[in-house]
Amino acid sequence: MANTKTNSILHFKKKYIIGLIIFFICVTAPFFLFHIQAAPLIEAPAKDGAFWLWNFLGRLHPIAVHFPVGLILFAAILELFTIKDFNSTLRPGINLLVIAGVLSAVISAILGLLLARNGDYSKTILALHQWIGIATASLGVLALFLLLRNQKSSQPWLIKAYRGLMFFTAVGVTAAGHFGGSLTHGSDYLAETIPWSEGYKPVEKKSIDFATFKNDTSKLTPKQEAELNVQVRAILAHNCYKCHGADKVKGDLRLDMKDMIFKGGEHGAVLIAGNPMESEIVKRITLQGNDKKAMPSKDKRLSAEEISTIKFWIQKGAPWPVNSAKDILFRVAVLAPRNPPLPPATATFTNPVDLFVNDYFKKNKIAWPQPVDDRTYLRRIYLDIIGLLPSPEKEAAFIANKNIGKRGAEVRQLLNQKDDYAAHWISFWNDALRNDYTGTGYITGGRYNITDWLYASLKNNKPYNQFVQELISPTDESKGFIEGIQWRGVVNASQRTEMQAAQNVSQVFLGLNLKCASCHNSFVSNWKLSDAYAFANIFSDSSLEINRCDKPTGRYTGPAMLWKQLGTIDSAAKTIVKRKQLSENITKPENGRLYRTIVNRVWNQLLGRGLVEPVDVMDNEPWSQDLLDWMAYNFVENKCDIKELIYLIATSNTYQLPSVGFKNPNKIGAPDFVFTGMLRKRLSAEQFADAVSYVIEPVFGDSSLGYNYYKKLKPVEKPLFTRASLVVNNPLLIALGRPSRETVSTGRESQANLLQALELTKGDKLNGALKKGAENWKKKYKNGDVIIKQLYNRGLGRMPTQKEFEVAKKAIGDNPDIGAIQDLFWAVVLLPEFQIIY
Amino acid sequence: MNELNRRQFLKNASAATLAALAAGAPVTSFLSSCNSNKITSKADTVILLWMAGGMSHTDTFDPKKFTPFSKGMAANSVLSTFPQVPTALDGIYFSDGLAAIGKVMDKGTLVRSYTAADMGFILHSRHQYHWHSCYRPPQSVLAPHLGAWIAKHLGPVNPVIPAFIDIGQRFTLGEGEELKAFHSAGFLGNEFGPFVIPNPSAGLDGVRPPAGMSNTRFEKRNQLYDELIKQSPTGEFGSDYQKESLKKSMEQAYMLLKSPESQAFDLSKEPKASYDIYNTGKFGLGCLMARRLTEQGARFISVTTEYEPFKGWDTHENGNTRIKDMKQQIDAPIAQLVKDLERTGRLERTLIIVASEFSRDMMVEGRPDAKVQEQVEQPDIISDMKNYGMHRHFTDGGSMLLFGGGIKKGQVYGKTADERPCKTIEKPIVIDQVHQTIYHALGIPEDAHYVVEKRPFYTTPDGLGKAAMDLFG
Repeated sequence: MANTKTNSILHFKKKYIIGLIIFFICVTAPFFLFHIQAAPLIEAPAKDGAFWLWNFLGRLHPIAVHFPVGLILFAAILELFTIKDFNSTLRPGINLLVIAGVLSAVISAILGLLLARNGDYSKTILALHQWIGIATASLGVLALFLLLRNQKSSQPWLIKAYRGLMFFTAVGVTAAGHFGGSLTHGSDYLAETIPWSEGYKPVEKKSIDFATFKNDTSKLTPKQEAELNVQVRAILAHNCYKCHGADKVKGDLRLDMKDMIFKGGEHGAVLIAGNPMESEIVKRITLQGNDKKAMPSKDKRLSAEEISTIKFWIQKGAPWPVNSAKDILFRVAVLAPRNPPLPPATATFTNPVDLFVNDYFKKNKIAWPQPVDDRTYLRRIYLDIIGLLPSPEKEAAFIANKNIGKRGAEVRQLLNQKDDYAAHWISFWNDALRNDYTGTGYITGGRYNITDWLYASLKNNKPYNQFVQELISPTDESKGFIEGIQWRGVVNASQRTEMQAAQNVSQVFLGLNLKCASCHNSFVSNWKLSDAYAFANIFSDSSLEINRCDKPTGRYTGPAMLWKQLGTIDSAAKTIVKRKQLSENITKPENGRLYRTIVNRVWNQLLGRGLVEPVDVMDNEPWSQDLLDWMAYNFVENKCDIKELIYLIATSNTYQLPSVGFKNPNKIGAPDFVFTGMLRKRLSAEQFADAVSYVIEPVFGDSSLGYNYYKKLKPVEKPLFTRASLVVNNPLLIALGRPSRETVSTGRESQANLLQALELTKGDKLNGALKKGAENWKKKYKNGDVIIKQLYNRGLGRMPTQKEFEVAKKAIGDNPDIGAIQDLFWAVVLLPEFQIIY
Repeated sequence: MNELNRRQFLKNASAATLAALAAGAPVTSFLSSCNSNKITSKADTVILLWMAGGMSHTDTFDPKKFTPFSKGMAANSVLSTFPQVPTALDGIYFSDGLAAIGKVMDKGTLVRSYTAADMGFILHSRHQYHWHSCYRPPQSVLAPHLGAWIAKHLGPVNPVIPAFIDIGQRFTLGEGEELKAFHSAGFLGNEFGPFVIPNPSAGLDGVRPPAGMSNTRFEKRNQLYDELIKQSPTGEFGSDYQKESLKKSMEQAYMLLKSPESQAFDLSKEPKASYDIYNTGKFGLGCLMARRLTEQGARFISVTTEYEPFKGWDTHENGNTRIKDMKQQIDAPIAQLVKDLERTGRLERTLIIVASEFSRDMMVEGRPDAKVQEQVEQPDIISDMKNYGMHRHFTDGGSMLLFGGGIKKGQVYGKTADERPCKTIEKPIVIDQVHQTIYHALGIPEDAHYVVEKRPFYTTPDGLGKAAMDLFG
């Protein structure tokens, strides 16, 4: 009986196979037709320009795979049921299932290979899926071969071998299916519904009161519209662009461009301006996470706040001002340098800075006030140029000097105090270049100190273009900036040292933020993910795999400048060569951005606020474009001499204007800011410590030094005390705002806070120095009167007023004890007058 | 309630603009979930008891089969080096030396499935950074410490007790720089950073006038300061934020140092009987200070056994002997802290967490499926007592205790395998969930964030973390 059956199957084998193929075509035909109608070649051809048909066939893979999964699994189950009787009545059916299953597995594998070429999938899972899929199809073919052999001449070993293979195939098809599912739905698709799993994301219920919207009929200003638009685009960028952006256009929908979002996707419009509740996009983002139509489909759900923002935006008519981001909020600055003509000299003004500011003042109807007095000016230039207080003797001589050019001469003199100058400016550069004497990374050799190079560069006033070149294309002495900080262990894609270099170079030297674009195409500027990676590739021997929002994309790009007009980078070259090319390209005079950025930073250090604010967003509008452009142009003409730039600014009438105080620090960066003079500055941590060291008693000893520059100095060159900028970071300096220098930092907080006040009130460093100072002063000065006068004269550059003298005298008396002197010191160095540069 | 109306939008928008404009300076603006996802808080105070250096779960809160030391024993056969003792929970045992904590386990939840991140070649401080900030270093923005987020979001409970207090860690030891990197408020600004008390016995030093200064003299000094400010001719310049904030902060510091609450920092004020129970060393006294501060209204307190490479829980050798000492340090004070807070009714609103950056195992370095470079020599056959102990760094399992603050009582959550590798096999808990669980208890929504450099920075990466709601009662 069994024989007859076997024969009959053999007999009909060909017919069956032909029948199966016809069946397969019939079943898949509707999918073909549907897809052709709904999406007639709408997808842009794959980036590598592959023939459209391959892409099209590739996308049939997800449909085709259901056949082998179902058929092979079912065949295997039937094999299990008939394990005792191979030739049971089910045999012909099982055989058909195996033939159809294996055939469809082979077809699926081929379609899958087509899809993998241009799909945007996680590489590791894809590789697993691919190889398991191919292995499964091969196993299936082998099993089928054994089965057919067995039909010809049945043998027990053949049956065993066939069944073994068949079960393996079933396991394989399950595994391949699992990883395939992970690719399409995300690996946490199932896990996130299981409460005890790591990726559990409970479905949240969000109740929203729409009444607030309906009652609100007021109109937004154009600026508010632009701000709202940017907020919405921020949400879309972080949550939607992955599938509906330039890289991938699922459902024929792009949400990253105005035309596209209003056009909608394959199912029509996604939003109805003014009607959030009828807008498809709102429906989708408010669906429960387990709904098939819910968006975003793979990642986290939008927060209530994000949903509200999108609804509010649609309610307001979905404003998308043309070029809103660029023109209204996110202006793009011109790259090229510019040399605006100098306004004609006047009787009062000759300094070019003043000529431009004079124009600005006229336009803003501001009258020039009297410049500050000699005492205030001297204190300013001392603190700004060398970070120290002037001595009372110096001050007296300066005031007595009747020479007209004395202010300029004094600035020149200070600029020539090379070590004092370097010891002051090194704090600014340490912050910016993330250089510190101690810090993370050193312990495992993952960080390099550049202090020797930096101190010498400042001391010798290295031209800025050369300074930048040596940091980007470094020697062993200057490589610490570009090499970044490497912690032991495995580091995330967006934080590898190459990306750190790209982010830090662009922030410090170009005043632009690549951090957004290191993760996804920026929506607030023109920078794209690929731009950030291209820039980072300059610092890498081999191209980095592009990661979007920390997920590998399998795509790569070559190395490139951020602005192509600045030159090219040889993609085949080694890092060392590419860095050299970058260092030359970036310092070209054509790169106005580099020079405007440094000029603006120096201006910010001296005047308390940049022409452009914040100093790291150089695309913002300066309060005087002409002044910024002229100074940057002039800076390059002057061989990138930073000291000359400081001289130019510090000798201007503009710098000598009375200082301006702000009650609300937030107003300093406001768009309606009007310049009327130097903004009041608080002493930095180092300036304060040095001032105490100078006036009263050295705060730090040589043992605190993080960088011992004394070794290189002749005895006569040695400063009076250990400069705070060169000591290892400590609680006093930290409390006063010296940053940890784990990341780039280009500005300090000047607002006081409780922890800082506690340190000043009772910290060992300050109070210890004051105590020791009191002991010395007690020996040195004969009575309380002298001590009070000395303290005011050295500390504040003036004698105490009568009232002040009386208060102080009452506190310490004629023959003060050490404690009383110490307390007077404390009270005076904490006076706002001591702490603030007026 | 969840709605964003026009007024709120404008408020947010201006905050965002200001934040953007303030970039460059590390000042940030509050842009967090206004009114969205309001959660009712279950706790006001968090006490983190930090087992620094990697506490082995199989030799503490999740003991496995005990194999006593014998010369020539096979290392691979050793899962636990201590016998077990019963706890208040039926069928749940702790490793010998933790009986006191065992007796209070009916008041909290024992998590036996903490799973640390796989970050490759082990560096303790890097895992500690990850545990405390929820971000893996390095980061392009300085990530704030858990305590700093809480200080920023909720402020102090009592204005004269700093919102974020860190007890017991010195930063002058090995890996001190790495420790500093996360004992920080990061981009939130120094204001929210830790108030550091390296040694609890000298805790009062942190809040009293400088050494050698009497209270009278301190008062007089402050009075002199006030009068000199009044007499200073700088009034002619008008006011500015630097001056105003300086005056205000100095005033605040003065108030703190004068306040009766500052006596909480003074352990000599504690009755002797109670002091003696806590006094197992620096850690025990830290627990005592945490209790005293909680009574006066503290927000976030961290007490650590102190991390120093190869010291404390960082047992690269002599694990068995040294863990005995560590248990002696922590057992009584932790149990007493729970009991004391319960007795005064404060446990309800205080969340206590006992945790470590990862666990240890005798054989596996890293995790079983992703072993990393070994840092400890472990002979296969043990002939010397110094090799008897959990010496390798194990990231795939670990224990945590939680008490109070709405945490379920008498619960055991998660499970590790009973045979090597003793890794998490049920209900793994990762650090994002731990942070969100703490925030949830405090009523801070999951999507809390601040804008820095125009980018939202969330309490847990991308705001994706979820509280482990099963831990709550």
